[in-house]
Amino acid sequence: MPEILWPHHELSIEAQLGVLHLQTTLGLNAPWTVIFGPSGSGKSSLLQAACGLTSKASVDFRRCVWTSSKTIRVEDFPAINASTWQTVSSLPTHRRALAYAPQHAALFPHLNAGDNIRFPSQVSEPRSKDSVLIDAVLELFQLHQLAHRMPAQLSGGERRRVALARAFAVPNARLMLLDEPFTGLDRKLRDELLPKMQAWLAARKIPVLSVTHDVDEALLLDAQVIRLADGRITAQGPARDVLAAERERLLQTLG
Amino acid sequence: MDLAALGLTLHLATLTTLCLLVLATPLAAFIAHRDHISSRLLQASVALPLVLPPTVLGFYLLVAMGPATAFGRALIHILGHPVAFTFSGLVVGSVIFSLPFAVLPLVLGFQSVDPTLTGTAAVLGASPFTVFRRITLPLARTSFLTAAVLTFAHTVGEFGVVLMLGGDIPGITRTLSISIFDSVQELNYSAANRTSLVLIAGSFLALLALYARRSNQRDANA
Repeated sequence: MPEILWPHHELSIEAQLGVLHLQTTLGLNAPWTVIFGPSGSGKSSLLQAACGLTSKASVDFRRCVWTSSKTIRVEDFPAINASTWQTVSSLPTHRRALAYAPQHAALFPHLNAGDNIRFPSQVSEPRSKDSVLIDAVLELFQLHQLAHRMPAQLSGGERRRVALARAFAVPNARLMLLDEPFTGLDRKLRDELLPKMQAWLAARKIPVLSVTHDVDEALLLDAQVIRLADGRITAQGPARDVLAAERERLLQTLG
Repeated sequence: MDLAALGLTLHLATLTTLCLLVLATPLAAFIAHRDHISSRLLQASVALPLVLPPTVLGFYLLVAMGPATAFGRALIHILGHPVAFTFSGLVVGSVIFSLPFAVLPLVLGFQSVDPTLTGTAAVLGASPFTVFRRITLPLARTSFLTAAVLTFAHTVGEFGVVLMLGGDIPGITRTLSISIFDSVQELNYSAANRTSLVLIAGSFLALLALYARRSNQRDANA
């Protein structure tokens, strides 16, 4: 029996970001892929390059393509139909069908939490009137009570949740890019949210590419980890393999 | 107190401010968001009235709006009459003369909007125009007030361009500042004093309203 696999996505980026030359092809074979690396290794820049956000002056953005095919079966794998490759860099930022939660939440300060979350569906083309989606997102991130608050009236953790919710409310997103998604959230809330977020994304078959420097987080996500140093991939694989040394250290300090 | 001149001046300043807010928004957006030589050229041209003697500007506007140039002929054709020494001529002149007072605050306002916010809005699916309308414009709203107050006050006080372009026709082109000049010429110092005091009080109140609003906003944001 052919088994339906997670759809194969591949993101290939070649960019010159200041002194950093970034050349990577990320096979997003797992639902959740984590880019792991120290500060300055080019993690956030990579996400911004994929979004088309890095300023043209410092970026020589040659190529950013991904494949996305929803029905790859075992016998086809890993053959990829070339026609599904899409050059993203030729698309303007707003047509890339990305969902994005940037590092510092970046909530729109003149809109309340609910309007921030409704923003993607209000600006999408064609206009989406999917209030079910908004309700589900508010429910997922437990934000019903906070929907009328302005960003300035929210705590750091609440702002982070609204930023995540806003990314989840992008209609028809093809790739979710999350920059340090759990910074500022307390551990209990994070552990509670994570499985719900993973279930939501799996149901919609949206792959996630997130950035972290938190070993614990990568292990908890059971993610595929891409270790980045100086803009190059130095290791790639399941979290428990790639981060084995860090895991060891972490266990020692705990115990 | 020359009431006709007061009415005319307020009328001129209101029209100029309205025209400029419409005209200055796209110019300021272009200057603020394009990092290209064309936007620097435009910025320098827009700022030119700041450094030019008003008489120089008035003189060239007078020539440009006359029948000697294609622009002047087109203007005469559209309005049906020559524009020099008319109220519409004054409006055109004031719009050009006050251009930097409307454009430059808006450029600053647009540039002060955090690019992370506009970038995030774009990634979330908003087209450049939608980003401008939904994010940049509301976040830069105080700069519209600054632009309006500065343009209005500057138009009320302008002298050189008005005199060159409009002359001194009571009820048509005689503004408050020209009325003051006339009073002084006639050695009627008390009339000049009364009109000047009105101008000082008006300008002071406009600036006070502007700064009071700004500090209110800071308190609200804190």
